[in-house]
Amino acid sequence: MRPEEISKKTEQLVTIKTEDLAPLPFPYDTYEETPITPLKEEQKKKWEHSLDGVSALTLPKPETPEEEERLVKAFLSGLEKLMTKENNWTFLQPLMLSLEYCAKCQTCADACPAFEMSGRKDIYRPTFRADVLRKIAKKYLSKGGKILAGFRGHDIDLNWDTIARLAELAYRCTLCRRCASVCPVGVDNGLITHELRKLFSQEMGIAGPEIHEKGSVKHLKFGSSTGMTKAAVADIIEYLEDDIEEKTGKRIKIPLNKKGAEILLIHNAGEFMAWPENPMAFAILFDAAGIDYTLSTDLVGYDAVNYGLWYDDVQFARVALKHIEIARNLGVKKIVIGECGHAHKALSVIADRLLPGAQMIPRESSYTLLNDIVKSGKIKFDPSKNDFPVTLHDPCNAVRLMGIVKPQREVLNAIFPPGRFREMEPHGVENYCCGGGSGFAIMSSGNFPDWKRLVSGRKKLAQILNAFQGEMDPSIKKMVCAPCSNCKGQIRDMLESYEVYEKTGIWYTGLVELMVNAMVDQKKPYLEWPGEGDDDDM
Amino acid sequence: MGFLQILTYLSGLVFVIAFGAKLLKYATMPMHVRWELYPIPHEGKEWGGSFYEEIDHWKKVRHKDHMAQYRFMVPEILFIRALHEDNRPLWYWSFPFHMGLYLCIGGLIFLGFGAFVQIFGMVPENSALASLFQSLTTVFAVPGYILGTIGALGLIVKRTTDSNLTDVTAGIDFMNLIWLGLLFVTGFIVWLQDPGFNVSRAYFQSLLTYGPMKEPMSAIHVVNLLIFIGFWAYFPFTPMTHMVSKYFMWDKVKWDDDPNRGDAGMDSKIKKYLAYPVTWAAVHIDSQGGKKTWADIATTNPWENKDQK
Ligand code: SF4
Ligand code: SF4
Repeated sequence: MRPEEISKKTEQLVTIKTEDLAPLPFPYDTYEETPITPLKEEQKKKWEHSLDGVSALTLPKPETPEEEERLVKAFLSGLEKLMTKENNWTFLQPLMLSLEYCAKCQTCADACPAFEMSGRKDIYRPTFRADVLRKIAKKYLSKGGKILAGFRGHDIDLNWDTIARLAELAYRCTLCRRCASVCPVGVDNGLITHELRKLFSQEMGIAGPEIHEKGSVKHLKFGSSTGMTKAAVADIIEYLEDDIEEKTGKRIKIPLNKKGAEILLIHNAGEFMAWPENPMAFAILFDAAGIDYTLSTDLVGYDAVNYGLWYDDVQFARVALKHIEIARNLGVKKIVIGECGHAHKALSVIADRLLPGAQMIPRESSYTLLNDIVKSGKIKFDPSKNDFPVTLHDPCNAVRLMGIVKPQREVLNAIFPPGRFREMEPHGVENYCCGGGSGFAIMSSGNFPDWKRLVSGRKKLAQILNAFQGEMDPSIKKMVCAPCSNCKGQIRDMLESYEVYEKTGIWYTGLVELMVNAMVDQKKPYLEWPGEGDDDDM
Repeated sequence: MGFLQILTYLSGLVFVIAFGAKLLKYATMPMHVRWELYPIPHEGKEWGGSFYEEIDHWKKVRHKDHMAQYRFMVPEILFIRALHEDNRPLWYWSFPFHMGLYLCIGGLIFLGFGAFVQIFGMVPENSALASLFQSLTTVFAVPGYILGTIGALGLIVKRTTDSNLTDVTAGIDFMNLIWLGLLFVTGFIVWLQDPGFNVSRAYFQSLLTYGPMKEPMSAIHVVNLLIFIGFWAYFPFTPMTHMVSKYFMWDKVKWDDDPNRGDAGMDSKIKKYLAYPVTWAAVHIDSQGGKKTWADIATTNPWENKDQK
């Protein structure tokens, strides 16, 4: 399908059929997939879905031709702004280079898990949305753009269908940037998706509801994207202290708002709700290693997420600056980011050039600090307590996009018996996204969860299954270590949808939980496998 | 001075101005936020690691392994390694095509050297140096024509038959390939007629001396020259200048991991950008149509409830 066909007047451009999908390994090679749930008639009437029958954005249909026209104009105006230094100094250079140079070789297509696992649907090619944007820019915004537009390859019609499909298409890419690592001329199609999302959000107010209204807005309004308020955090921390006592027999005080502490530790607040064992494990380890740290209960300061990273520079900057301000007010020497991949990249890398150097504060990955704790010998570990097969998921944001590859591996090698840790293939900077990147892990509107299950999460599921081939007996318990909240959420959803634990004995957890499980001082097992504790989630 | 010479100068002028303008455009764009992609060769960690793997990394002196950048870039440019590793079927044609071009450029440079020494009366018949330049011209240009032709033909066939490529290929892409293919083919025919490149060298000499062209030029040679002249002027306006993205996207984007440690240059840029006016129109931005700057909007939390704080 040519990118120009995106403007076609048709009910639905593409249908995802289960028989087209790339196959999964044993024991799912004969598995009967559940297709994408079609939208209900009333949903179809309300929401745009003409790309692939999926609605991730619940984007309302314009009610009048005038409204359509206004939206088309707004889109063009946004595209123009995207190409000015005043409105987009943050990404102008890589965007313009990526828009101008594509050698049309399709090397990127084979690197993209969404394209591959969908059964090579053209609309998910990394170049497809980039080409649409490129063609619109050339035809409608460059001088003489309409002259010989067909011959020059950019004769595209700009109508509401194009824009509605493009908006949905901006949410069929996880921004994993695997495509960018193989492009022979350096084009970054992931970046183009990012910029497209920005255009929709910053000019037209269109974004995934879970990452905007229920995400960054909630974060700035209540203090956390989970909606958790400052008062609630203090209560939750108390519960965690009780739970730690129950699990370890030791009362540990989790320091809050401690001025002058060495470290401000920020967790993804989703951990407090879905995986409290994770912040608890941090507290146990930091206590045992004698680390001088604090958590913050200041607005925004107790949630490391920064959803703006995926769709909106302004929302991004608002949250990042808050994180930095809070750390400075506490007088800490560094911020340590918990197990949250996108928070790693947001605060360490992207926020790095938002303020003059003197106003910045050093940021460090928890993986690096945890490895340092292991190497210091301050905590004694007994690897035999972790005597089960384990594999490691590499969160794109912390690994390919930040270069933190070794510390988490060194930790695993220190806390597992030899031969128990095996890599997924490929891994490290060549890893595949969990399928929940760029906000997908929390996006659950319309029938989008079905798309994630069948398409974006499929490659990771295949990799996980491949890592344990030969040991698929469910009585052999196996673990995926995913040191990132969003990746964990996505992997949990995949394992649950496919009943992977029941069929194969594969479950998931974070890095710190595995560390505490191996601590010599930890008398009871810290890990709970499904069915062992009160809760299904660990 | 003849018409062809004037056209050649003009085409060179267009090339220099247009290509220079392109480089300037990208070189003067604002410093963007960091958007690196690992592995970064200068980090010197073959597994793709970065300084973030080290505890208190900001306290340490950074070592950049610049040689590693060259070790990466030279095979990337000469042999198109990315394509070799990740898209071999296309590399079989793209590599000879690009290598053909590089060799032809090499041949042109040696032709220029030969023309230059010829101004001082050094010709292959009486000068070892001139003879060396003549041989090197042949050694570079002739395989260049052959490889380039094979590559261009292969790419045309591939783009017409490979279902991965047909939908993304436009008329203009075929035109570009045919254009370069004709340049290689006619160049080869000219060489068959004039194996010592004597006419070409005389023409080059006339360009260097602003003098008349003494040797008669065959019709096919004129055609070859016109194809070249046209292409030279057209090239900077096309995405075929992807060496520009290759430089900027690697050196200034994918490998730009310089942390903000408060150096004066970076600070002054950041301050300048934060003062840029914002005109994004979505309600939550609250830019007030450009009345507010980046600093204003980024430090305002429109939802902050003071009681909660
Ligand atoms: S960023 Fe990842 S998901 Fe998006 S197009 Fe590239 S490879 Fe595909
Ligand atoms: S690999 Fe790069 S040049 Fe090739 S099609 Fe993809 S974006 Fe374009």
